[in-house]
Amino acid sequence: MAALTYDIAVIGAGPAGSMAALHAARLNRRVCLFDRNARVGVPVRCGEGIGFRSFIAHAGNRLEWTKNKISRSVMVSPSGIRVTIGNIDESYILDREKMDGDLVREAAHAGADLFLSTPVTEVRRTGDGSYECRSPDRTFCASIVIVADGVESRIARFLGWNTALSLSDVETCAFCRVTFPLIDQETCVFYVGSTVAPGGYAWIFPRGKGEANVGLGINGTKSSAGRAKECLLKFLDKELPGASVENLHCGGVPVARWVRPLVRDGALLVGDAARQVNNISGAGIHYSLFAGKLAGLTAAQAMGSNGSVDYRLLARYENEWKKTYGKQQDRSYALKEFVMKTDDAFLDRIAASLAKEPPERMNYPRVFTRTFSRHPLLLLKAARLFG
Amino acid sequence: MTVKLNNDKCDRCGTCIGVCPTNALLLLTASLVIDSDRCNTCERCVVICPFGALSLADDSSASTNMT
Ligand SMILES: Cc1cc2nc3c(=O)[nH]c(=O)nc-3n(C[C@H](O)[C@H](O)[C@H](O)COP(=O)(O)OP(=O)(O)OC[C@H]3O[C@@H](n4cnc5c(N)ncnc54)[C@H](O)[C@@H]3O)c2cc1C
Repeated sequence: MAALTYDIAVIGAGPAGSMAALHAARLNRRVCLFDRNARVGVPVRCGEGIGFRSFIAHAGNRLEWTKNKISRSVMVSPSGIRVTIGNIDESYILDREKMDGDLVREAAHAGADLFLSTPVTEVRRTGDGSYECRSPDRTFCASIVIVADGVESRIARFLGWNTALSLSDVETCAFCRVTFPLIDQETCVFYVGSTVAPGGYAWIFPRGKGEANVGLGINGTKSSAGRAKECLLKFLDKELPGASVENLHCGGVPVARWVRPLVRDGALLVGDAARQVNNISGAGIHYSLFAGKLAGLTAAQAMGSNGSVDYRLLARYENEWKKTYGKQQDRSYALKEFVMKTDDAFLDRIAASLAKEPPERMNYPRVFTRTFSRHPLLLLKAARLFG
Repeated sequence: MTVKLNNDKCDRCGTCIGVCPTNALLLLTASLVIDSDRCNTCERCVVICPFGALSLADDSSASTNMT
């Protein structure tokens, strides 16, 4: 079969890839979008939490993608001290099955050719500078390739990047959907400590109507075969005994510095594949939406009508990312490096001190100010992380 | 020694691929594929798997009989 030819090929139809395909297609470029799976967005491998401001900024006012509104968060220390943070920016718990599905449909509606059940196994740059994307039964050609293959970031390795994560730069996660009538539907709860989730945290994110996403991540350096799942089962037993548990799945969160460069020749790296994730919270939805759109628009603008590519223009993608979120993401990495060196006693001491504060006066900057008062340099970094 | 997959335990999440230094792992639509020629048995994939679907097995033993 002859190779199909496009201006822009997008590999991976998560939020990063779909946003890229949608925005490139809207500028009338010939776009194809691949996903390995027959259906995108399932199983949901995500806690689905997002800050209100990030959501509005990058998704628009798509309230149909939200399931529940959160007004409070609680941190539980290793010895069980609960710190309530009453003054958080409002957050949402999303319906990612719907959001991811809608984004793919919108990309297709805007004119992108959608190829589901199509794993891209290899990408090669050919003599004329275009890219050949291979799948088991077809080959596709494109002038620009946007690589959005998520945590695995395998495709980039054919294009000169080394994206293999060291064990300390990945959180290995197990999670599920739980129905439990006693879950407070307005509060996200985070548990830290070496017993619950070594080098990571456990979460309860309520989705409304007694339902919640419950999961945990442990740092790769603390992992052994199957340990994330074992920790989750123990956590469920202890914190939500008797809850009905469904959709037990697993996944990985890259907690690394964002990949440099983000652009090589005509290839752009976006989302988890580019390690565009907040290293403290593990949040990447907002970065993926932002970077996907930016990469799609930039690629479309760099694509000349005669099929030529303005490679220098592509560099704008990295510059814009760096200006908007790059520094914040770098700080989250520095902070992660610090947090990895703390121990349970340290976390308990901070929790004990914070628990004396009235919850309504507690906000994230205050937690961090307290946490890092003995580490002035980190305080500076942390204060700006949320600034 | 080779890395073996227990397909019943695998959730196809791709975390193992994220840490593989030799690009020896590949997810197709239905299953994970291990390229034993590329694999250097570093075991990062075994250690990182949240569900414990991968293990290092001695080729000489009854290798595929995994429970
Ligand atoms: C357990 C867990 C909890 C999380 N919780 C949150 C949270 O609460 N809030 C938050 O903001 N973020 C969270 N994240 C992170 C967030 O889910 C990711 O940052 C986000 O999904 C990244 O989007 P993406 O498009 O880059 O990648 P993905 O959403 O991973 O999409 C990648 C897509 O590429 C496809 N693909 C991969 N390789 C190929 C190939 N070779 N060929 C074809 N298709 C391919 C995959 O099938 C997949 O559909 C969490 C992550 C995990 C694992």
